[in-house]
Amino acid sequence: MLKIIIPTIMLMPLTWLSKKNMIWINTTTYSLLISLISLSLLNQPSNNSLNFSLMFFSDPLSAPLLVLTTWLLPLMLMASQHHLSKEPLIRKKLYITMLTMLQTFLIMTFTATELISFYILFEATLVPTLIIITRWGNQTERLNAGLYFLFYTLMGSLPLLVALISIQNLTGSLNFLLIQYWNQALPDSWSNIFLWLACMMAFMVKMPLYGLHLWLPKAHVEAPIAGSMVLAAILLKLGGYGMLRITTMLNPQTSFMAYPFLMLSLWGMIMTSSICLRQTDLKSLIAYSSVSHMALVIVAVLIQTPWSYMGATALMIAHGLTSSMLFCLANSNYERTHSRTMILARGLQTLLPLMAAWWLLASLTNLALPPSINLIGELFVVMSSFSWSNITIILMGTNITITALYSLYMLITTQRGKYTHHINSIKPSFTRENALMALHMTPLLLLSLNPKIILGFTY
Amino acid sequence: MSFPKYEPSRLASLPTTLDPAEYDISPETRKAQAERLAIRSRLKREYLLQYNDPSRRGLVEDPALLRWTYARSANIYPNFRPTPKTSLLGALFGIGPLFFWYYVFKTDRENQLTKVWCSLVLWEGGQP
Repeated sequence: MLKIIIPTIMLMPLTWLSKKNMIWINTTTYSLLISLISLSLLNQPSNNSLNFSLMFFSDPLSAPLLVLTTWLLPLMLMASQHHLSKEPLIRKKLYITMLTMLQTFLIMTFTATELISFYILFEATLVPTLIIITRWGNQTERLNAGLYFLFYTLMGSLPLLVALISIQNLTGSLNFLLIQYWNQALPDSWSNIFLWLACMMAFMVKMPLYGLHLWLPKAHVEAPIAGSMVLAAILLKLGGYGMLRITTMLNPQTSFMAYPFLMLSLWGMIMTSSICLRQTDLKSLIAYSSVSHMALVIVAVLIQTPWSYMGATALMIAHGLTSSMLFCLANSNYERTHSRTMILARGLQTLLPLMAAWWLLASLTNLALPPSINLIGELFVVMSSFSWSNITIILMGTNITITALYSLYMLITTQRGKYTHHINSIKPSFTRENALMALHMTPLLLLSLNPKIILGFTY
Repeated sequence: MSFPKYEPSRLASLPTTLDPAEYDISPETRKAQAERLAIRSRLKREYLLQYNDPSRRGLVEDPALLRWTYARSANIYPNFRPTPKTSLLGALFGIGPLFFWYYVFKTDRENQLTKVWCSLVLWEGGQP
């Protein structure tokens, strides 16, 4: 694992010591190389985990998320080049340093063995993200957005610290590998109910759960492109990953404690999908669609069946790539028209046909078109929730329909129709942008050929 | 040559030049029309000046559009007030369904689990 972490840390001296015309080239190339190293982790020989040391391990659940994280850093750097081009050199280097710090913390979070170390790094990822959102966002609302983002997550995760420390006192170790084998049923008492709540709330806020999702549209909309990409693709999955890890310790309370959250997720996914149909702001639409997809993951994790865990992991990876790609596409619009309003930039297919092809692919994967991994994730979650209770099929079916509706609405509003008269002088698509979309789409399409690597540890 | 009388229809309104009421309008209405025309042409002149300005890079800002997007996205909560209608909507679509679905799923799940545990339904791999 150090072969990934140390190069990522060393990306920071690389940015500070590079020459002015080489910073982007150096950082993007080296981060691509680091992502190629992490691909070797996908070779998981058995259902047990690969233990690299006492501190780091990799598991069929964390390996795909790790590969996604390392794959996303070069993409974030490529996406940020344009909006940072006018900034002074020191600020560019600071931005890349923030991204690299965030990357290091994320890699260590996904591979942490000790749950307290996971918690510390989980909190540590908040700091660079907050700096990126509040310093480099574009509107004045970014301050409010950063506040909401920071305090929602902190309030949710403070009980988790208390819970983890109390579990450490009770069991003597929070090493995740040990806890899997030690596991006993939690006795039925009020304090264990609060323990369940304390453990889960941090991840519920991060996912986000429907009632606690207020930070997400603000943070996603106000963040610059790299911030939006990393938020949508990885930071939400931290919540899912944490939930998947911590539910192993929380039986049997999960069978009755999960109901309120299941109801919030099941109803919330329909509500947020419906809100997407009425959005005027493009990034806000994609942000609400993230909430809707993550609600499916919450349902899957709380049901706790093998199929639903497979669906949850597949959906996390698929949604990471799709959502990040949609934010990149929205950003390519924003850089040209300096406005996020959807109806302001219509009919782009006539002007930028290749970008329209990427929009089409991204919208099709967002609505879970077969045979993409989005469909595999959603289908597994729908099937397992059907077996949990037959009536969920009504809600799930409605959600899939509304998802298709708003994805197509977004596609048709931005691409089809007569173009608005003031965008006939936009710059054509850069090769960098096309490469960015291709690098998002290629893993997504390749994974549909071999999805078993992302199906997690219950495959 | 006498043309047939032009009748307005649903999709084609009567043009002002064929409307007999156009020709005996009071001076006040005429003045109001002239004022509105002055405002329109001032706005159009400002727009055309910005549109054809050779040193312009980027969009001509439309303040109405900015106000509309601000009102649609960021200005909703400061103008929210709990009224009977909004409270009813909130309870009906926000809180009510949660309890409704809770009871639906709880009953269904209890039935399913009692069937399973009483071995009336064969559940693959499960043992009571």
